[in-house]
Amino acid sequence: MQDLAVSASGLVKRFGDRRAVDGVGIAVPKGLIYGVLGPNGAGKTTTLRMLLGIIEPDEGERMLLGSRHPRDMSDHVGYLPEERGLYPNMKCREAIAFMGALRGLPWKVGRQRAGELLESAGLGHAADDKIRKLSKGMAQLVQLLGSVVHEPDLLVLDEPFSGLDPVNQERLELLIRGQRDRGATILFSTHVMAHAERLCERISVIAGGKVRFEGTVDAARALLPLRARYTPLQAADGIAAMLPADAVCEEGSWRFTVPEGGIEALLVRLIDAGHGISGLSIERPGLHDAFVRIVGDEALAGQPETIA
Amino acid sequence: MMPRFLRQALTIARRDLTATVMTPTFLLFLLSPLLMIGFGVIGGLSGQAASSAGEARQQIVVIAPADQRQALQAADRELRSVFTRDSARPRLRIDRAEADPALQARGLFDSDAIEAAAVLYGPLDHPVVLRRSGAEAEGRYLAALAAQTLRAERAGGVRSTPRFETVTREAPTVSGRGQAAYFSTFAIFLVTLMLSGQAVGAMAEERSNKVIEILAAAVPLESVFFGKLLGAFGSALIFVGFWGTLVANLPRLLPGDAAGLLSSLSVAVGPVFPLLLIGYFVMAYLLQSAVFLGVGSLASTQREIQMLSLPITIFQFAMFGMASYAAGNPESWVATVAEVVPFSSPMAMAARAANAPELWPHALAFAWQALWVAMTLTIAARLFRRGVLKSGSPKRAKRAVV
Repeated sequence: MQDLAVSASGLVKRFGDRRAVDGVGIAVPKGLIYGVLGPNGAGKTTTLRMLLGIIEPDEGERMLLGSRHPRDMSDHVGYLPEERGLYPNMKCREAIAFMGALRGLPWKVGRQRAGELLESAGLGHAADDKIRKLSKGMAQLVQLLGSVVHEPDLLVLDEPFSGLDPVNQERLELLIRGQRDRGATILFSTHVMAHAERLCERISVIAGGKVRFEGTVDAARALLPLRARYTPLQAADGIAAMLPADAVCEEGSWRFTVPEGGIEALLVRLIDAGHGISGLSIERPGLHDAFVRIVGDEALAGQPETIA
Repeated sequence: MMPRFLRQALTIARRDLTATVMTPTFLLFLLSPLLMIGFGVIGGLSGQAASSAGEARQQIVVIAPADQRQALQAADRELRSVFTRDSARPRLRIDRAEADPALQARGLFDSDAIEAAAVLYGPLDHPVVLRRSGAEAEGRYLAALAAQTLRAERAGGVRSTPRFETVTREAPTVSGRGQAAYFSTFAIFLVTLMLSGQAVGAMAEERSNKVIEILAAAVPLESVFFGKLLGAFGSALIFVGFWGTLVANLPRLLPGDAAGLLSSLSVAVGPVFPLLLIGYFVMAYLLQSAVFLGVGSLASTQREIQMLSLPITIFQFAMFGMASYAAGNPESWVATVAEVVPFSSPMAMAARAANAPELWPHALAFAWQALWVAMTLTIAARLFRRGVLKSGSPKRAKRAVV
């Protein structure tokens, strides 16, 4: 077993009668980019906050960077909360240095690194601008820089991509990879599958306060069978009967689930019947589909659960 | 643990202080007493100018033969040294006696050239004093002047030449102590009243900007609260330092007798008193601000914070009322209560420093008050954690783990 940056088992948090987090366990190996996925209100944020020691769990154990008291390690952790917030009257450079100072980085070093970080993030021109002058996306990047300025061993990002345009999302992905390459462990939550698919080496899917899946992205995708898209040479009546029951015709192409024994036998039958093959593609379903499958319709329908 | 706690608190305090001081509003805040003083001075000056203009023209007149002139002037000089500036009598004018002094004296009251308050004529042993209504004191002065001149004449050169020496009492007078006690209580009250209310809104900025999440994630809430307190205290200290320096130098600018009055406010504990006063101001400020900070942090809107300011002021007045009663009645049970109740304790103990010479109760009081600052902050942080961050207490969780 690899060294774990974060581990927890049986975490429970009750808000009134509701169990917002109901027995969540997690194990994040060091040096990985780890995603916590889940629909809105699944308990992701509450879980992250418990792992960081911002709030205390009602039940369960957690270890953060080898300590049972996460707060003792706070100088080695960077955190981007879901609710973004910076002092609007602070200059970018100062804001970043301030966030570093909170985590034990001397102000002077913080200011210097802030300049470099802003420069590398393409915000060098804004170093001496006040936060209030920045766009929302820029402010978010500044806050992210503030959470990495002290070069933390663990970086926890809560919905880091929300509110960013595609260009800034790309910058953020680069930055996250950069932190991983530096040796940091990154734990982030999202409900946007595309980012998780591109970035994460492992994921946990949380829904309804419980862990529904843990493993690699590929393992998650493998939960669903392959999908095929077949286009015959020309439309004919007999085709539908030969294809699996879930086949659907769209503009002359058929989409269906690849049968368990593989698609070859089916193709042989189609060719023998003279339908021919004008187009064929076999796709692994995306994380999106896997996610929907894991979380289930019931969870997606959305219980009245919103967790701040 | 302690250095880390302190380091975190200072980081937050530093941010807060910079954010407060580096604004134009702070200058307004700093100079706001100037407006008060300015209005007071202007009002006082114009009142004084109006009254002194009238007084300057007034004169008192002695109608006497020419050979008495010198003796009268000498006696007038001597008598005048008794008066302070405020109670000084109008200038003396000596007129040569004419044929009918009585007529001459009456004529002076009708003259446009002079505004006579009182006129004396006739022989010095049986003088007649005419005076305007309202000028009774001037009349009596002229009578006294006549008597003094006569005595000097009869005594034939016997003079009393005094030597003046200023003596300060080792032990202050009871009335001086009482004044000093009340003065110190009032000073602490006034300054905390002006400054500590600011702490109410200290957490509002964080909550509205959502910065609280960053702070709470990085440092313990106790550090956040203590840092906020220190930050607010820093700006209060700038305020007090600025005005304290001015006020400390005020006696030099004041006329002599006013400075004398200030120094008569002597105190029982002796020269450590200013230190104690500063110490108690710090404690009063920290204690009250800690409460306001805690209460304010639970308020979720600006409106609620504004609503809080009245109960806060009433609370401060109540504490001041108790402490000022204690200042006047140092032996009463109310005094003891005021010294023990943490929020009136700094004011009451400052009064005690003026009233009683023992020093050990002050050490005790500082420890007691510091304990309460810590307790208030801890409770405030707990409430905030529960009410705002929606987290249970760590202790319960730890027990569950065990």
